[in-house]
Amino acid sequence: MYSSMLKTDGDIIITQAKISDTFFSNVDINLIKKIKRIDGVNDSSAFVIGASPVESLPIVAIYGVTKNRFKNYELVDGIYPSQNEALIGESIYASLSDKKSITIANEEFKISGVFKSEIGFENGGVVLNVNEAGAIFNKSASIIMVNSDIYKNINAIIKEIKNLDSNIDVKSTDNFVTNYNQFKIIKTSSTVISFIAFIMGLIGIVSIMSITINQRKSEFGIKRAIGISMRNIIGAIVSEALILGVVSFVSAFSISTLVLYIIKNSAHLQGYVNGEISLSLAFGIFVTSMIMVIVGSILPAINAAKTDPIMLIQGNR
Amino acid sequence: MLIAKSISHNYGEDMALKDINLDIKKGEFIAIVGESGSGKSTLLSILSTLLTPSSGEILFDGMSYKEIKNIDKFRKKNIGFIFQFHYLIEYLNVYDNLKIANEESSESEILSLLKIFDIAKLIKKLPNEISGGQRQRVAIARALMNRPSIVFADEPTGNLDSKNAVLVFDRFREMAKKGTTIIVTTHNRELSELADRIIEVKDGQLQ
Repeated sequence: MYSSMLKTDGDIIITQAKISDTFFSNVDINLIKKIKRIDGVNDSSAFVIGASPVESLPIVAIYGVTKNRFKNYELVDGIYPSQNEALIGESIYASLSDKKSITIANEEFKISGVFKSEIGFENGGVVLNVNEAGAIFNKSASIIMVNSDIYKNINAIIKEIKNLDSNIDVKSTDNFVTNYNQFKIIKTSSTVISFIAFIMGLIGIVSIMSITINQRKSEFGIKRAIGISMRNIIGAIVSEALILGVVSFVSAFSISTLVLYIIKNSAHLQGYVNGEISLSLAFGIFVTSMIMVIVGSILPAINAAKTDPIMLIQGNR
Repeated sequence: MLIAKSISHNYGEDMALKDINLDIKKGEFIAIVGESGSGKSTLLSILSTLLTPSSGEILFDGMSYKEIKNIDKFRKKNIGFIFQFHYLIEYLNVYDNLKIANEESSESEILSLLKIFDIAKLIKKLPNEISGGQRQRVAIARALMNRPSIVFADEPTGNLDSKNAVLVFDRFREMAKKGTTIIVTTHNRELSELADRIIEVKDGQLQ
């Protein structure tokens, strides 16, 4: 998504000061020349972010980028764009009826090539030269990105860039992504929704395990009556529950990964909807689920251990 | 071998057994008779450690059940229990239903036990694939897997025809002669006559 795209571009991000969204940002592209002179800056690029209808699609992301950013786009066909040319994301290219040219804001651009990007947000967009996108959206640049030397103090560079223009806001990319309101809203919403779903899932696991164990009380009573120790019975219950839990987790994880892959690569969605399951998140979910599986199975089993076998047997008769 | 001292048991406010005293010798074959609801099954469950009495004490070879630290181990070593309903484990076949009662037993031991009850050919069948009478005979065989010193049987012949019922009681008599204590509840007066001693329970009390 957008945050992933920004992170690939550099470790400092410059936007217009006091704006609510990067969409409205307008910074002077000529700052790049001054920024490149700062000690510790390796490279700097600019891009314009906009959106426009394209053919039957009501809204498509348009990126105007400086030439040094073209290398970020992995070509699958053709070449990088010159003036009056456009580079098309793989997923939007699939939906175009005319594969030779594209019209954006009444301007026709020849399609120079097709790129693919792991970032779905970009894969569904159109890339132009920065000056042409700037002309369409009436701005110099939306954002300037800076790549710094890893051995240099990034805060010192940020301070120096700030001194170049009072009308700009300069942040490290990590800081920007963390504090960008849209990301915060999306992240908070998805976290809350996921948390609710997860808690409901956990309650479901505990309930199902408890019901399953309670339904098998008669079996435990019979086993105890023939002399099988409760420790062995509980051990078998927990083992079965864990196997069931692992199979459930692997199934759920596989389905989630498949669904995210389908969403990410859906031409219809143009890469705008994207998601990821990090290893740490998956591990956390796995551990929590396994704990709940054990809790859900062991509590009724321990309760069964305290009950006379004949009561367990007759309980389900 | 087994002494019951002042055993009483309540289910909630209902008195099931009241002040039962019993002395059972090693190798005795005892039939407990009584009408439905008289308390004979409750008495059998208490004597066999499957139910803790509300009050009273049971001594096994002089040791109180209350003093036994690992009751499951004790049960496995000393007691065989045959239920009125067969209570086989439905997802295990006949062989595994017997094997689970004694993991150390060999296939030939299990087979020879099944042969005694004429059910050896059912060894790979699941409980739901055999008749009620066959299931009951499997349950009896399971109770004998550990060569228990005392066998409790709650209406063991309830699902058997008269021929197989006599076969089972004859088997019990043989076991009693070899030193195994057998305690059986039954409705069948004729079968109870095959026991060494008949104990009658009425309204939770011995007659």
